[in-house]
Amino acid sequence: MDQRRSTRARALAAALTAAVLAGCSWHGDQRTTLVFFQFKTEAMQYFKDLAARFEAENPDIRVVVDNVPDAETALRTRLVKGDVPDVLTLNGNGPFGEFASAGVFADFSRDPLLRDVKPAYVEVLRALGAGSPGAVNGIPFSANASGVLYNQDLFAQHGVRVPRTWSELMSVVKAFEAKGIPPFYATRADAWTTLSPLAPLTAQTTAQSFFTERFAGRTTFEQGWREAVDKLGTLFDHTQPNPGGTGYEDGTTAFAQGKSAMLLLGSYAAPQIRSSKPKFTIGNFALPATDDAARTEFVSGVDLLVTAHADGDHPAETRRFIEFLMRPQVVQDYAEAQVAIPALKGLKNQDSVLALADEGRTSGFMDHQFIPAIPLGPLTQQYLIDRDRTRYLRGLDSTWDRVAKRRTWGLGAVRR
Amino acid sequence: MSFFWMVLPALVLFLVFHTIPVLQGIFYSFTDSAGYGAWDFVGLSNYTALFSDERVLSAYLFTFQFALVATILVNGIALALAVGLNGRIRFRNALRGIYFVPNILAILVIGYVFNYLFSNSLPEIASALGIEALSTSILADPELAWVGVLALAVWQAVAFNVIIYLAGLQTVPAELYEAAALDGAGPWRRFRGVTLPMIAGFVVVNTVLSLKNFLQVFDHVVAMTNGGPGTATESISVLIYKGGFQGGEYGYQIANAVVFMAVIALFAVVQFRVMRNRGVSHA
Repeated sequence: MDQRRSTRARALAAALTAAVLAGCSWHGDQRTTLVFFQFKTEAMQYFKDLAARFEAENPDIRVVVDNVPDAETALRTRLVKGDVPDVLTLNGNGPFGEFASAGVFADFSRDPLLRDVKPAYVEVLRALGAGSPGAVNGIPFSANASGVLYNQDLFAQHGVRVPRTWSELMSVVKAFEAKGIPPFYATRADAWTTLSPLAPLTAQTTAQSFFTERFAGRTTFEQGWREAVDKLGTLFDHTQPNPGGTGYEDGTTAFAQGKSAMLLLGSYAAPQIRSSKPKFTIGNFALPATDDAARTEFVSGVDLLVTAHADGDHPAETRRFIEFLMRPQVVQDYAEAQVAIPALKGLKNQDSVLALADEGRTSGFMDHQFIPAIPLGPLTQQYLIDRDRTRYLRGLDSTWDRVAKRRTWGLGAVRR
Repeated sequence: MSFFWMVLPALVLFLVFHTIPVLQGIFYSFTDSAGYGAWDFVGLSNYTALFSDERVLSAYLFTFQFALVATILVNGIALALAVGLNGRIRFRNALRGIYFVPNILAILVIGYVFNYLFSNSLPEIASALGIEALSTSILADPELAWVGVLALAVWQAVAFNVIIYLAGLQTVPAELYEAAALDGAGPWRRFRGVTLPMIAGFVVVNTVLSLKNFLQVFDHVVAMTNGGPGTATESISVLIYKGGFQGGEYGYQIANAVVFMAVIALFAVVQFRVMRNRGVSHA
């Protein structure tokens, strides 16, 4: 009796253990499955539809679209598990550079697809980080232009012209305040939005080599960023009353309702703004940080890039999917829907938000050079609350030095 | 023998999903791993760097202050409610049910509800009533944001503690109260002299568990402030997650987690000892 019960218990235990360990490795489908990691929440439906179209054209491939919020974090957790998706869309930012430097992504530097891409964007990606010298670990798909979004109707109504220098910007601010219209709508509650104006301010008020010098320990934020940070404070002195609790969603909605003349965000915010008011005419001008109009320029980054796992299991199928994604019509449709600049040569976006941006000179986002372990967004948000410039900049410097000391790799562009 | 086989699945699960990852984590705390890609051993330098990292120290300070205040509030309120709900009152069972509701709601879900209340509703009500101090969102104020997180944490945790205290109160024999009443003890004296010593064990368990839970506070912070404004409400768990996964300092934050694990274990042991001794001497 005892023996029998024991046997049954053993069988049950074995079954349970096996079931647990085996997990759900069920294969009912004969098609090859590609995991498509898609970071852009705003374009979720677009890429889902695309994947469905691709599946219809390629009956032997199944594409699982993995849309996640907070994509970089989600990707990192997948990388920790050693579970790299086959095809990815990512933002061309600091974390991308870090992943690329770690050799996670395939190299496209000799890929014919890259020949059709505007070379400036390829350079942006290369500069962010690469798995081996000279490698380009992604294909630029679209780009954005970050300046100041403005309400064209309000500007026309009050006869205000687009400013080209810092002083002109300040007169625009005064003109709107005199009419009782808040010049800017702050979205400070979402810490990352504070970096949008900081990027052009630092780009125009520091030397181009600032980050190279900072990595080499030859300059500090306290020396280099003072002017930019003061001007950031000045901009935030002219917002709606009680700006503390307002975030990205509330701010973009308020701007669409005409509650402020300008919004300190880039072209990427346009779809969000128009979601509550489709016909709203938004303009976008480069944020002038100095009184030298020749230095005024947009900040531009790769809004979306396509890349693949360096040694995925299905290279041929992955290739087919990437070629499908890079078709000019696909890139153009996306750019129009998401108010982005198409990255392929010969394509243009006629949207009012990008009217000034396309021809203008641009610089890269400084926060993409920033060590991701330093919470730049929250620290900038803190500065905008307490306005303690010295504490903010010294804090950045000391954290920077400490992180640089304890990290042996992954700082800045490829160093291995 | 059959007991062994019955325990086996749980043991395997525990080893595979708990013990092995812990050991792996401890291993990675001696490396500069980003969680993927190549890594090198860095010896104890992650640990030494921790003690000079202001962000880590302020996270510890925040977490301990938060956990202490939350534990005291939760247990005070829960005990008071439990005594009330244990008395002969109308709608007793319905009320017990209602007070338990917060416990079955997901923290993240109600966290976003509280977030909305604190950032929109409360300021609006306050400015309508002319209360200047509350007319801006307290979650946007680095000095006060923790109060918002605390309110959510206490509201949510009281429910579970009430249940434990109710269970404890039912173990107190009614004769003791009768005897105390005959001796002329008033309600407060009866609570101090009879109830508290009799449920001392439950108090110990509740405070140890609450403190441990609040030291690991994570969801509340993510839903309410995401560590902000600035880094004012970054708890240790939030910092480990943010620094390790968003910041790419996996090895470094794992070292932080190892230290934190030791601290929590130490705290629980000390607290258990102290409170048990006091509980025994009372009884």
